[in-house]
Order: sequence, then structure tokens, then C-alpha cells
Amino acid sequence: MAEPPKLRVLMVSDFFFPNFGGVENHIYYLSQCLLKLGHKVVVMTHAYGNRSGVRYMTGGLKVYYVPWRPFVMQTTFPTVYGTLPIVRTILRREKITVVHGHQAFSTLCHEALMHARTMGYKVVFTDHSLYGFADVGSIHMNKVLQFSLADIDQAICVSHTSKENTVLRSGLSPAKVFMIPNAVDTAMFKPASVRPSTDIITIVVISRLVYRKGADLLVEVIPEVCRLYANVRFVVGGDGPKHVRLEEMREKHSLQDRVEMLGAVPHSRVRSVLVTGHIFLNSSLTEAFCIAILEAASCGLLTVSTRVGGVPEVLPDDMVVLAEPDPDDMVRAIEKAISILPSINPEEMHNRMKKLYSWQDVAKRTEIVYDRALKCSNRSLLERLSRFLSCGAWAGKLFCMVMILDYLLWQLLQLLQPDEDIEEAPDIRLGYHRGEGLKEEDKVRNV
Amino acid sequence: MEKNLAGDSIPRPKWRKVAYGGMQIGYDDNYTDESFLEEMVMNANVVRRDLLKVMKDSVSISQYLCIVALVVLVWVHTLESSLDENSLLLLDLSLLASGFLILLLTEEKMLSLSLLLRYLLNISFFTTGLYILAPIYQTLTRSISSDSIWAVTVSLLLLHLFLHDYSGSTIRAPGALKTPNLTSCISVNASIVASVFVASRLPSRLHVFAVMLFSLQVFLFAPLVTYCIKKFNFGLHLLFSFGLMGLTLYSIYALHRLFFLVFLLLVLLVNVVCPYWLIRMQEYKFEINGPWDEAKLCFDITD
Repeated sequence: MAEPPKLRVLMVSDFFFPNFGGVENHIYYLSQCLLKLGHKVVVMTHAYGNRSGVRYMTGGLKVYYVPWRPFVMQTTFPTVYGTLPIVRTILRREKITVVHGHQAFSTLCHEALMHARTMGYKVVFTDHSLYGFADVGSIHMNKVLQFSLADIDQAICVSHTSKENTVLRSGLSPAKVFMIPNAVDTAMFKPASVRPSTDIITIVVISRLVYRKGADLLVEVIPEVCRLYANVRFVVGGDGPKHVRLEEMREKHSLQDRVEMLGAVPHSRVRSVLVTGHIFLNSSLTEAFCIAILEAASCGLLTVSTRVGGVPEVLPDDMVVLAEPDPDDMVRAIEKAISILPSINPEEMHNRMKKLYSWQDVAKRTEIVYDRALKCSNRSLLERLSRFLSCGAWAGKLFCMVMILDYLLWQLLQLLQPDEDIEEAPDIRLGYHRGEGLKEEDKVRNV
Repeated sequence: MEKNLAGDSIPRPKWRKVAYGGMQIGYDDNYTDESFLEEMVMNANVVRRDLLKVMKDSVSISQYLCIVALVVLVWVHTLESSLDENSLLLLDLSLLASGFLILLLTEEKMLSLSLLLRYLLNISFFTTGLYILAPIYQTLTRSISSDSIWAVTVSLLLLHLFLHDYSGSTIRAPGALKTPNLTSCISVNASIVASVFVASRLPSRLHVFAVMLFSLQVFLFAPLVTYCIKKFNFGLHLLFSFGLMGLTLYSIYALHRLFFLVFLLLVLLVNVVCPYWLIRMQEYKFEINGPWDEAKLCFDITD
């Protein structure tokens, strides 16, 4: 008979399906692999439009779409204590043992972590992005992060550069931060059965056309490359504010037949766009970890990327050509890529990627982090408060007051609705076959 | 199993700063190498400041404070009718002439005759426009009580001082530092509205015209003139500033003792206390740069 799950994990983030992105994919795939390892995973996120309440996804993944409205960039409105009742109910109902929050930008994550700590649960946090230190937004964000991570059990970062960045921003001890990278679903991203002919070299770009993703670099690089090589064409997928600049560039240099603009590409069609190309170009100005590069490498494309953030750590040197975020250097890198293109074998690259990255490996390593977190000692309220005091002269005292109030509110809630009155949900385990890849259709649900 | 002195039977491979390949054999995921934070650069772009230089630079700020104080003094005297309209008009003309003279003398390249003529044409348009609009200004705030006017004027002047661009010229002159940004435009507008309010309290049309011309001349052109003097010769700039300070302090003393004390304290604060404070705070500066920073584009984005 099925034994009870070993770990019971609650994933909290503002960013989840039906949104598509790095964090959303990470949570989904990690949850699926943890389910296959025999643990219980529940996801908590905010309501998306009409999608509110409890939903079940593949493999019995239970998702709570908490009816809080997002207010800016898909994050919930921060009310500090407003989410305490619902978080408490979910934690008791599902008999959670570990709470895992994702993404520093998610207010729901920070609030849930705070309430979970107050109630004595073990807490893990994963940071997916890099932040600066100098502008007003970053300073505020870093202070909030310092508060959240002052009392955490373990933290996870997706690359070594991200670990350095998180340690500097939050003041955590480096021994508490684990480096577990993202991975790619190699079963979904397979190279084409017939490789497109190399008479015409196709360079694929798929990214949001915003400043951060280096759309301005593209505007400088594409005409230059088209001028140097007559047999190169570009395919640009994605949409954004810089779309207009790219169109202007096409007009100005008369590249309508050599640069194809696809507009926004839905995630399910990304693979079909990638397999039409030979080279993948990534021009972002900052990346903690670039999953797009992994997807391209899994499809057998040679990658040309800017040397920023965690990108140098992601792929071995023979699968990627790195360049400084400067148009001339990028053109040189593309030239080098075109020259080594004949020696690239997409199938071989795909097979290598299968060994280098897999979500099952990520899940196993995350399991180790959870076990470490559970071994951490329980701390009383007073011990925890002393950690907050070190956050700053004024901030430390403010954070202590916030936590004390949270504790009092929790005690009040326990009086009004005792723990025994919260009904515990039964564990429903759906059957699945081992060894099956995660199918693309599983992710698409009609609302 | 035989263990060597190092304690490990099989030497583990060297740790590499890579994300692929799963967990590195012999190392935990939270292993922190000696190369951790190796590429962090601290305080790379921080300018080390010298107390004397900061004090000399702060003279520009107190110079501008004196100019604004002098404008307010002229307003006060006009409102008290101790300055009549003819002397005010004379003041305007002399200021205009001296401003032009300073511009001519401090200009590095030769000012062509056509440029000079264009300047003169603009000035005459400006003056004529003001003269024609003077009756409107005179009756503008007739229905508003005096208290509100003084309150608004004071707050607008404070806003103007707060948002003023002390480093460059508010008018883009040939050779000026940078184009005016939002806050400098707001400050210029605040000063103009304050002048209009004060001018509307005056008895006759000529009064209104004279005061408006004076205020606008000073607020719009004084930054340009002082910038030209500063660019020409720093010693001359310092001399000019101290002269202005002396003149202002003397005039305020003649008017009211308390304001004189307040103004003196303000000048001391700006010139002595604030530079010292700035230098003291420099030790706390902690600027962090590293591979996690967003890359800066080395070319300008032309839309």
C-alpha cells in the first residue's frame, strides 16, 4: 500500500500557471518531480482573473488560487497580516511540514514565509533573480529580503553568481545558501528529425522585446551581421515595447526578407520555432540563469550569448559562445559561431543536455535541502526576535514589532478558531507511470 | 580502506563554478569556495572629496541664495513704496546692460554681430510683451486676500530654491552643461509665478511692469550670467559671490535684525557645516559592483 508521503511541501509564489515564465515553470516542474519521488506538494498563489479556488493539476498537484487581487506586475497587494488566516488554514488543512517560497519580488511569498515562521514551520526560500544595490527600488527590495531571510532555515539560489548576489543583499551566511540550478524538460525540447540545411543559416531570437533583454543590442547587431553574411537570416519571436525599434531597423536597412518577426510566441510553440534555426542568440543585459539557452541547447542549437550574470555557468564552453554586451563583440561571437557550426551535431548536443540537466536531479537536491531544513532546531519567539534586531538600527526594531504583532494575531486566531476545528484534507494520490516525460498537453488546461 | 594523511582515500575533483552536471562529487550544494565574492569590486566609482574644494563649490549655492534674497528685498521695498517706479526702471536697465557686458567680456569665442542683434531682438520682444500684459497682472489677484498671496509666494520661492539646478544653467546657452531637466523647469516656473503674484499687489501699471521685468530678468538670466563668470575665472567668481553676500547682509541688516541673523546662519550652514558633514559621511559609503550588475550599454539609444 502507498505509504504516507515523506515530506509535505507548500510552494508559495505570486507567479504560477496560467502565467508562463521561468519561475512558474520551475515551480511546476519541481512540484511534479517531487510528487514522483513520493512527497506531497501543494501550491499557493493568487487568483488569476476568474481562476480562483482550488484546482488540481497533473499528478494530483493541488493548487490554491487564493482570492487576492494582483496589483502591479502580478504581485499581490501587500497587507502584511491579511494573509495570515488563509495561510494558517492551508498549513493546518494539508498538514504541511515545509514551506518553500519563490522569488523575492513576490509579496505573497514574503508574507506566507513570515506567517509560517510565526507558526513554527520550517521555511525554505528560492531566489530566481539578480538585483542591484543602488536605486531606490532595489534598496527597498533588499531590506524586505533581509527581513524575510533573517529567520529562514535554508535558502536556494539558481546559480553561483545569484548566490553571491543574495548573500550580499540579505546578509545571510553562505553556508545556508544552496546552489541548485534550474533544468529543462529535454523530452519536450528535441531537435528536428531532419536538420535544416546549412546553406542558409538561421539565427533564432526568442525573448521579450524589452530593454532588460537587450533588444537595443539586437537593433545594432542584426544589420551588421546581415551585411557581413549574405546567407544568414534572422527569426525574432516575442513582443514588447521595443518591437517598434526592431521594425524601424528592418525598414531602414531593407531587411524584410531576411528578418522575420513572429510576434508573441506561445510556450507550446517555442520548440517548433527553435528547430527551424541553427544558432540561438541571447542578448540580455542581466540574467540570474537563462532557461532559454537550455531550451535552445536541448533542441541542438549553438548558443551565442552575452556574458552577464550567471550565463557563463550554464553551459559548457563548447556549446556556447560568449560575448561582452557590446555590438562589435557580439558580431565577432556570431562570426565564430558560424565558423564552428559545421562541427555541431544537434542529436549529440541533445543527448549531452539530457545528462547535464534534469528536473529529477533538481528535485533530489531540493529534497536534501528540505531534510536539512527539517533538522534545524526549533526556535522560540525570543530567539527569533534577536535575529531581527541585527537587521538595522531602526529597521531591526520595526521588524521585531511586526513579528510580535503577527504572533499575537496568530494567538487570537487560535482562540477564535482552534487548530482542532480546521478540517484536515485527505491525501489523494493519483496513479501515474514512472519514466514518462511531462507532456506538453498536461500543462494546458481550459479554464 | 587505506587513508592518506589528507584524510580522504580518493582525492575529490577540483570544485568548478558551473551549474551543469548535477551535484559536484565530493561537494555539498552549499559549499562555499575561496573564490566566493572574488569578483566583487567595492567603491569603484566613488569620488574622494576634499573639504576645501567642497567649501569652494558651496559658494555657488550661497551666491544664488543671496541673489534670491536681494530680489525679495527689492520686492519688499517696492511694496512699502520706498522704491519708486523710475528708480526701479533704472535698476532694470542697468542690470540688463551689465548682464550683457559680462556675457560679452567672458565669452571665449567671438560673438558675431548677427547673434548680438538676435539677442537684442529677443530682449525687445520680451520687454514689449511684458509691457502689454502688465494691466492683466495688475488686476489678476484683486479678489484674493493678501495673506494667501504672501503664503503662496513664500512657498513658491522655497520650492524654487529647493528644486533649482545649482550645477548648471537653467537656460541652454552655447556651452552650457546640460539640457534642463524636469525639476529645473518646475523651479523656474515657480519663481515666475511668485513674481507674478507679488507684482499683482502693486498700485500702478508701470510699477507692475518694472517689478515683473526685474524679477524675470534675475530669475531667468542670473544663472546664465553667474555660470559665465564662473567659467571665465574662478577667483572672479569667488570675489563676486563674497561681494554679493556682503551687499545682501548689509541690506537685510538695514531692514530687520532677526532676518539678518537667520540669513547669516543659513549662509554659514551652507558654506561651512554642510561640507564638513558631507566629508564625515563619506566613510560610510559602500558601493558594490560585480558580475551580477546589469550591463550598461555603451552606445546611445536614438529613437
